[in-house]
Amino acid sequence: MNRARIALCLISAAIPAAAQSLPDLVIKNATVMTASHGTITQGSVWVHNGKIAGVGATVNAPSSATVIDATGKFLTPGIIDPHSHSALGNDVNEATSPVTPSMMMIDAFDSTDKALYQALAGGVTTELLLHGSANMIGGQAVVIKNKFGLSREELLFPNAPRSIKFASGENPKRVYGSRNQLPSTRMGNFEIMRQSFEDAKVYKKEWDDYNAKLAKGDKDLVTPHRDLKLEALADVLNGKLYVQIHCYRADEFLTEEAIAKEYGYKIRAFHHALEMYKVGDKIAKDDTAIATFADWWGYKDEAWDAIPWNAVMSMRQGVRVALKSDSNDHIRRLNQEAGKMVHYGGATEDEAIAMVTLNPAWIIGVQDHTGSIDVGKDADLVIWNMDPLSTYARAEKVYIDGDLFFDNSFKGFGTPHFNGVMHDAESGGSHDGSDEGGN
Amino acid sequence: MVDTTPPTGITAIIHGKLLTVTHGTLEDGTLLLQSGKILAVGPAASVKVPTGATIVDAHGLTVYPGLIASESTLGLSEIASDDVNNDLVETSEEIFPNMHVYDAFHAETEHIPIARFNGITNAIVAPIDTDTMPGQSMFIQLAGRDRDAMILTKDIALPMNFGANPKRKDKFPSTRMGEITQLRQALIDATEYMQNKDAAAKKSGAKDSKDKKSDPPKFDLKNEALIPYLKGQKPVIVTADEGHDIEVAYALAQEFHLKIVLAHVTHSQEILDKIAAWHVPVMFGPIYEFPHANERFDAVYTLPAELTKRGVKVTLLPGDSGGAGSAQSLRNLPYVAGMAVAYGMPYDDALKSITLYPAEIWGMADKLGSLDVGKTANIVIANGDPLDVRTDVKQVFIDGVSIPMETRQTRLRDEYMPKK
Repeated sequence: MNRARIALCLISAAIPAAAQSLPDLVIKNATVMTASHGTITQGSVWVHNGKIAGVGATVNAPSSATVIDATGKFLTPGIIDPHSHSALGNDVNEATSPVTPSMMMIDAFDSTDKALYQALAGGVTTELLLHGSANMIGGQAVVIKNKFGLSREELLFPNAPRSIKFASGENPKRVYGSRNQLPSTRMGNFEIMRQSFEDAKVYKKEWDDYNAKLAKGDKDLVTPHRDLKLEALADVLNGKLYVQIHCYRADEFLTEEAIAKEYGYKIRAFHHALEMYKVGDKIAKDDTAIATFADWWGYKDEAWDAIPWNAVMSMRQGVRVALKSDSNDHIRRLNQEAGKMVHYGGATEDEAIAMVTLNPAWIIGVQDHTGSIDVGKDADLVIWNMDPLSTYARAEKVYIDGDLFFDNSFKGFGTPHFNGVMHDAESGGSHDGSDEGGN
Repeated sequence: MVDTTPPTGITAIIHGKLLTVTHGTLEDGTLLLQSGKILAVGPAASVKVPTGATIVDAHGLTVYPGLIASESTLGLSEIASDDVNNDLVETSEEIFPNMHVYDAFHAETEHIPIARFNGITNAIVAPIDTDTMPGQSMFIQLAGRDRDAMILTKDIALPMNFGANPKRKDKFPSTRMGEITQLRQALIDATEYMQNKDAAAKKSGAKDSKDKKSDPPKFDLKNEALIPYLKGQKPVIVTADEGHDIEVAYALAQEFHLKIVLAHVTHSQEILDKIAAWHVPVMFGPIYEFPHANERFDAVYTLPAELTKRGVKVTLLPGDSGGAGSAQSLRNLPYVAGMAVAYGMPYDDALKSITLYPAEIWGMADKLGSLDVGKTANIVIANGDPLDVRTDVKQVFIDGVSIPMETRQTRLRDEYMPKK
């Protein structure tokens, strides 16, 4: 690393990273792709106190506002990746047992991972950092805002819902089957799921009874044993944890939905979901979304029936569809992956943009805060040099909560908040099917 | 298999926007195809469509030459994680110039129609880069009635890999020194073999049969395989990522006067001027390689532009950060070129990097790479800019034959498409 740059970085690090109140900002004359209510061909967006305060052909911003003339440029909500393993190093799987719901991804989170900066440069403002897929029940995820350069705590998405990751299919089979342990088949996979929730039901009842008695004012109660594993599963039954399931095959979506109904929890999204086009109408009825690849396929058996029309065909059947990266590479160009939806299946540009903004926001459960350009939402915005669905598009400026976090015109690392500490990405979804960290 | 026996009649593609590659863009052009070749190309006003020709109306569409992938694993793998169907490289030894990918080529792989679907008509098939000398590449066409019709040139080049990938754990070669020593010894052995063989051939005419030296050396597949390369008849593909590795591998190739094509060079920022001075073509990629910790996010993206600026002839490789040329991602080759344009490569060079330049590098420029009279009629018709992800390819011609735009994936699509 360049010595002079380190010095500069240290100086900039001494300046408070996020100023208390940023001046109002107006981005005008842009083609505004709102993700929620169409595209405004010559629009303006007003940012006040980190929130979107106005959007339309004109806005009533104070004259003191900083004005950026974005003539000829495009403005979108920040790109949201609902499935990434960035910044988790090689600690994505506690692959010593197929059921590890108490594992917290936050304990492995490294906010200085360079993959975050590369994603930021691709316009990514929010990510759901998930466990790997070695275990049937992997553990609990982290939601971040990609404020690269700030402290670890400042990257955490405030009050984001908690998610837990399940996995089924080939990966748990391979990991444990190769050790001659349960599960080595899909039967084994689902037996584990049912037994886990049978145990969780007993645990939940014990605590529910205790709490009911406590509420009634009963004395001399024995507090039940707290078991982190069962507590997490009870939270699934209580609806306190969003269930995100790594799952490829049509038959498995149906089995997973049946088990969820049997135990009374909802599946927020199927991830990968490469065969959803076969049963989309059924899954749409349960309001379960999918986070899928644009066109990745063939890396393993259960990805053999993957077709690049999957996302659009599923959407036409009523499924809420998001595109995701599962890869430190693809996360850098999710806008292009959205562009492929225009090619494969004829999505409109508005539909394609929603697949990488508003729909992934829903999967994470932060759709009331980010994911579209609407008044009251966080000012997570990207200025692109041209239509972001084109191969030629580059992110020029990326704002999170109204603050500039990436500027392509800067030399060096292009991140105003970069504090000079950066770790090379260790891994993160290699798409090769052999790495249970990824797909 | 798609039979590409050329039709005898004339096919006329009319009113298309022709990207000729060699002589600019014709907004309203006519292209005549006959007997698998391009018969005529020019503005609508100057090319007469013969009566009886099969007419393809390309109004509002873009017509361009078939794309050429300079690295792929087509036909060497079907499902990546399934080892039994992988013939990507023979790893039992490293020096294997006598391995030929055509011996493993599965011509009916599902990957070929899928790559063709996005406009790719020709490709190099190569062993992957985990041996220093893994075997010879071949050049294929992505349609033909059988394997033989699809293989255009069997042993077209010899990859020579250097750097991190060919290292072995606890086995020779476990270092870069080991790799180079291994390569040098192989090239010395083959040179001696070739010299002994030549000497024996010279003396075989002489009567003195008692002269032991006239005996040719025992036939050896490895040494035989290297002779055309030592004679400079075919190129060696010098493959490395890092600038310092490229310099070492290049020097070794020069030591034996080999004909050189550089490959990968994704972290060669510090030697770009040197590469230009060497006057060798470069197979660059994948462009999606990650930058090093001390590099800006776009350090790799901008290299094709930097090389082009210095006058280097660049062919872009398909693939993603997982490696160049995987069969599954091959269809994204045009978008790789689009990415290079986004980061400064002139559009014309980017289009040439996947059409004319690879044709030139692989000695196929008399047949492929542009819309010119006499060239093979490998033609793509699409509804827009070939390098843009939003563009849909409508029709592909190979040897002048209209190829069914059907793949395993379109069959699944059509089977499950919701009924209106």
